[in-house]
Amino acid sequence: MSATGRGAPARSATADREIVISRVIDAPRELVFEAFTEVRHLSRWWGPDGFTTTTQSFEFRVGGEWDFVMHGPDGTDYTEWISWTEITPPERIALLHGESRGDPNAFESVLTFEPDGTATRIEMRTVFPTKELRDEAVERYHAIEGGRQTLSNLADYVTEVVRTGAEG
Amino acid sequence: MARAATTSDAFNAIAEPQRRDILVLLRAGERPVTDLAQELGMTQPRASKHLRVLREVGLVRDRKAGKQRLYGLDARGLRPVHEWTGGFERFWNESFDRLDAYVQDLKQAGQEE
Repeated sequence: MSATGRGAPARSATADREIVISRVIDAPRELVFEAFTEVRHLSRWWGPDGFTTTTQSFEFRVGGEWDFVMHGPDGTDYTEWISWTEITPPERIALLHGESRGDPNAFESVLTFEPDGTATRIEMRTVFPTKELRDEAVERYHAIEGGRQTLSNLADYVTEVVRTGAEG
Repeated sequence: MARAATTSDAFNAIAEPQRRDILVLLRAGERPVTDLAQELGMTQPRASKHLRVLREVGLVRDRKAGKQRLYGLDARGLRPVHEWTGGFERFWNESFDRLDAYVQDLKQAGQEE
């Protein structure tokens, strides 16, 4: 596949290296925002079902870092590293997300919080510098999602079967 | 690109919840159709029909074992779906699910104070 994208409209230029996820949460914006600002909150919801986190250090400020380990339900640990690049309460948080400080594959995600009636619309937008980095992140999170009793478990099994080459 | 017919596209095949249930059961190993039908509470013809669709898109394979026919997962067919969905989206979607539940707790706690 060509990576040049010549002649493509500007809007779709990042489409193959962008991931956007949004959600409406039935709570005031300040409260939703607050859940991102302290480790006692983050540790309650960060990560997929069945995951827990252990925090080494946490400093919620621009340039501050969150060093932590994510524990998968199958016992596998993943080191994670977050550094905030913008904090605008209660509207916007931009952060770098990698495996450790200085991770060359770290990527930036922007979270925006918008009032939606009495609820809050939250959007997570990540634009990866290259499609390759996007694919690497997707691969890594596939790995993180391993060992679960859902269709994703099946999907991991698929990768394994494909990789090792099904015998018989 | 032309849109693929239901039976030639893994995405369409697994859009049906009962077919996903079948795949999850087959993950544990090969099963005859009677087993699958019973476990999922559906008629055997219905289970057979689902299996036929799954086989046509390369998600399930079958083989004869004595008198019965066993169906097993042919997981290679699911690879395009796996690559498309991406663990990163799931990571955030499930995190947002948990965030939602947690924020509801916070809200309630705030109201009780």
